[in-house]
Amino acid sequence: MAHAATALARRDRRFGLMLSAPGLAVLLAVVAFPLVFIIFTSFYDYTLLNPTHDTFNGIDNYREALDDAYLPAAIWTTLKFVAASVIIEFIIGMTVALALNSITRFKDFYYLILLAPLLVNPVVVGLLWRMLLHTELGIVNYLLNSFGLPSVNWLGDADTAFWTVVMVDIWHQVSFMAILLLAGLASLPREPYEAARMDGASALSCFIHITLPLMRPVIIVAVLLRLIFALKTFDIIFIMTKGGPGTATDLVSYFIYRAAFFGLDIGRAAAMSVALLVFVIALTTYLYRYMRSLR
Amino acid sequence: MKRLLAAFGVLALTASAAQAETIRILMETVPDTRYIQDLLPQFTAETGIEVEIEAISYIDMHSKLVPQLLAPQGSYDAIVVDFYWVGEFSKAGWLMPLDDLIAQDGVDTGAYVPAMMDLVGKVDDVTLMLPFYNYSMAVIYRTDLIEDPAEQAAFETKYGIPLQVPQTWDEYWKQVEFFTRDNDGDGERDLYGTVIQGQRGDCISMQWSNFLYSQGGQYNDENWNPTLNSPEGVAAMDAYREAVLKYSPPGSESFCFDEAFNVMAQGRAYSFVTFNILYASFEDPESSTVAGKVGITPNPGGGLNGAWGWAIPNSSPDKDAAWTFIKWVESYEIAKARAMAGGAPTQTAIFNDPDVVAARPYYPVLGDILAGAQPFPVFTYTTELVEEMGRELNLAATGEKGSQEALDDAAAAFHKLLVKDGKLEE
Amino acid sequence: MADIQLTGVSKIYGGNVTAVDSIDLEIRDGEFMVLLGPSGCGKSTTLRMISGLEEISGGELRIGGRLMNDVDPADRDLAIVFQNYALYPHMTVGSNLAFGLKLRKVPKPEIEARIRRTADMLGIGELLHRKPRELSGGQQQRVAVGRALVREPVAFLLDEPLSNLDAKLRAAMRTELIKLHHELGTTIVHVTHDQVEAMTMGERICIMRNGKIVQLGAPLEVYRNPVDTFVAGFLASPPMNLIDARLSEAGATVELGAEVSLAIPEGHRAALASHHNKAVVFGIRPEDIYAEPMDGAMAELDVTVVALEALGPETVLISRLPGGKEIATRMGRNFHARVGSAQRLYVDMNAMHAFNPDGGRAIAMLRA
Repeated sequence: MAHAATALARRDRRFGLMLSAPGLAVLLAVVAFPLVFIIFTSFYDYTLLNPTHDTFNGIDNYREALDDAYLPAAIWTTLKFVAASVIIEFIIGMTVALALNSITRFKDFYYLILLAPLLVNPVVVGLLWRMLLHTELGIVNYLLNSFGLPSVNWLGDADTAFWTVVMVDIWHQVSFMAILLLAGLASLPREPYEAARMDGASALSCFIHITLPLMRPVIIVAVLLRLIFALKTFDIIFIMTKGGPGTATDLVSYFIYRAAFFGLDIGRAAAMSVALLVFVIALTTYLYRYMRSLR
Repeated sequence: MKRLLAAFGVLALTASAAQAETIRILMETVPDTRYIQDLLPQFTAETGIEVEIEAISYIDMHSKLVPQLLAPQGSYDAIVVDFYWVGEFSKAGWLMPLDDLIAQDGVDTGAYVPAMMDLVGKVDDVTLMLPFYNYSMAVIYRTDLIEDPAEQAAFETKYGIPLQVPQTWDEYWKQVEFFTRDNDGDGERDLYGTVIQGQRGDCISMQWSNFLYSQGGQYNDENWNPTLNSPEGVAAMDAYREAVLKYSPPGSESFCFDEAFNVMAQGRAYSFVTFNILYASFEDPESSTVAGKVGITPNPGGGLNGAWGWAIPNSSPDKDAAWTFIKWVESYEIAKARAMAGGAPTQTAIFNDPDVVAARPYYPVLGDILAGAQPFPVFTYTTELVEEMGRELNLAATGEKGSQEALDDAAAAFHKLLVKDGKLEE
Repeated sequence: MADIQLTGVSKIYGGNVTAVDSIDLEIRDGEFMVLLGPSGCGKSTTLRMISGLEEISGGELRIGGRLMNDVDPADRDLAIVFQNYALYPHMTVGSNLAFGLKLRKVPKPEIEARIRRTADMLGIGELLHRKPRELSGGQQQRVAVGRALVREPVAFLLDEPLSNLDAKLRAAMRTELIKLHHELGTTIVHVTHDQVEAMTMGERICIMRNGKIVQLGAPLEVYRNPVDTFVAGFLASPPMNLIDARLSEAGATVELGAEVSLAIPEGHRAALASHHNKAVVFGIRPEDIYAEPMDGAMAELDVTVVALEALGPETVLISRLPGGKEIATRMGRNFHARVGSAQRLYVDMNAMHAFNPDGGRAIAMLRA
């Protein structure tokens, strides 16, 4: 009897593997292969003019990439951008989530408005905002002027351009954070809040002592996800500023793009990509471990 | 049953035979593409070949083309090549030489303006492309402002020279200063002397080149030594920065040509140093409020010469059909039809064709513009040069770097790429 | 220490759903009052209205004589223990206990003293530095009680606090709560659906159904004289046997169907006069039916054995009356009979109950 049971289990397992094999194969091809290729290529002199793995470069590509005078600034700008957009998105997202959590009517309508920007293609987002923010002809400055406020040089002034790009990214992505946090809030137990009411806690006190601690796993996941995506921001930079004015919005992702498609140097671009990947993995591992330590 | 199968078989065969050939071409979303799209039904009627034109914006083209050119068989049967990709594409060996086809079908490449053939035709004596249209840059200005007697009087009083179509840089710059003004006294400028398209990268590189030429500067000498950081270059950069600060709308450091176009098209600027092909759009009431009020004149000192060429990639799936198309689209009849619609010609005869001149009276001026156009350095790494130089120019335009320092850095980057290409020694 | 008075208190949701229907209830100072009833009867809602977590739709709530309808929950000087404890998950036990006191700006030494006292009373002194997720269910429950104790309120409100515990722990906690009440003497309002808790803990029980109070009184009183069939069937397990019957013309016997006729004791006949020759619901508790005749007014009953439940200290006999109705009887622990066999039972008719078939109310209080 037991013998038959294990044979059945084995057959089940094999059948399961057979069914998932095609899917796994595709996944392997689409994810693993490019990854391995890029890591491999980063050590070779591989350009679009000469797409062969003939010349082994060792770590020359990495060294060349690090030599670029503008790279440190780009890294710093990227970190600033990621920090600014994730932190602000968290604050706004949490506020929106808290607000949505306490309303009961028209919820679907609010969801629709909230999600709409997220659904827009990032290229379209960039083009749209460039049009809106045109200093002379754009509607934003027009509205500012009609209220007696001066026009703002949204994309031409170095400092302003940085915050403009952050703002556009927030407009595009904040609902992602809001939705995740809302899901977390909706699953919180009701009673601790009632106990707090009996104790006389204010809304702020409840938020700090009950909501935030209970939400910690959800917050970490949301922030982590957003962080990883933010590090890869490319489309709005490419469409709106091309890294300018000057180098104010030069992000690492744009650096990599330029190396690959303007410089035609895939080897160097691969080296930078691998470095970025290592950084992201390190960051993710650290945050994941921290999250687990809270259990 | 057998007869039914046979019938199906015959049907399938005839269906596939009757199915039209289709060729695909990647092109830019510019008016000249539209003029061709309007004429396509004619081509399909004559040859039975369907043409699918994929039109995208310029910024996406290069990165979309390269993978298709690398692949053994790409998606595009024919392509258009921007002049500064020529060095790169030819070095990589992505384009099919056309000399045999030209000889076999008796195509006369002498019909083209020689500068065009040099730019987007032959590379090292091998014909890789046929010139498509040119977009050399020039000064587009407001005729109504120049012809206004009140303005003429005021200008002459202030500067001591007549107000006319600018022949020299000095004249032009005075006009730019003159026409930057605050008309309604609210402290904000309403009219700008010129519109800068200063966005980092391609946009600023293209426009600033004209400033360089007008100061008598060049990018490099005959031996490929970079000369853009010469005193002429610095003067050009200073003038550009002056324009950003004083004569151009705020924010123009980040404009590309569409934003700048709109400022001029809304009647808010006196002039715009830009691609000649935009002239037709300025004259079109559907996209501009200043239709009938603009003129075009060569950039003093010469404008940037730019053009696109037709080419057949080695990865083309259907080279024969592609060649049939290219022959057709560059035939005199079709080239003339395109010019009549507003396209920018590359064949000498078309500039002087009476019908064309009648329809487009400014075409002789175009001929002049083309004649005086200056070359941009074309080599394997032109694309990367435009990127790096574009960054330096933008840094100087925004005032983050001094003109000399930025140009020195740009020259250094240029030098490095020339060494990489083997044109210069270390 | 205070009495709690509800006068005509109602709770109406959404304009037409009445959860509590105009109840009058007086909870005396220092009393242990149990609110008992099935799910949805309104007992929890009533408790929450007293606490202030639910708004009172109508009527008045007074605590210690003061009107409390619009007073903030935190200002009513009450403490509540929730069914799932509702501890602050990210604070230590010590901080959980101190939280409410800190918010009230109780001076630090006082807070520490109270925590120590409470911890000693509940035996949670060693848990003060742990977080709630590190505690067992029983420990969490005690911390929840501790959190209420520390507040030293005028009354404790307990919302089914023992429901989430296993049977053994529940029994232990029951005793502890009773001891606490003796020690502190504070008013306690305890909500439960468990009639064992009600019977053992309450000084008075208030039975609720469909938003109304059905009966209010000391546990034994309610047990002996249930006011209707609902109360009769609710307390005790197995519940009172309720059988459709008919009183004879003179009220001398009660007929359970055609076959069974039980003699009614003299003392009860007059009380049931209104229903002579009419249909009644005859009620008799399982413990008032015996296997042998005892002292008292015994009536014979012949039944067929259906099932036996040997519980250990006693055995419950499920048997069938000639008419088909099944009844339960408590037998001694050694009682044994074969399923399907005939059995003669003896009913103590002094302990009988009679209810009106229309509506179920007791016709008279037969056990004074």
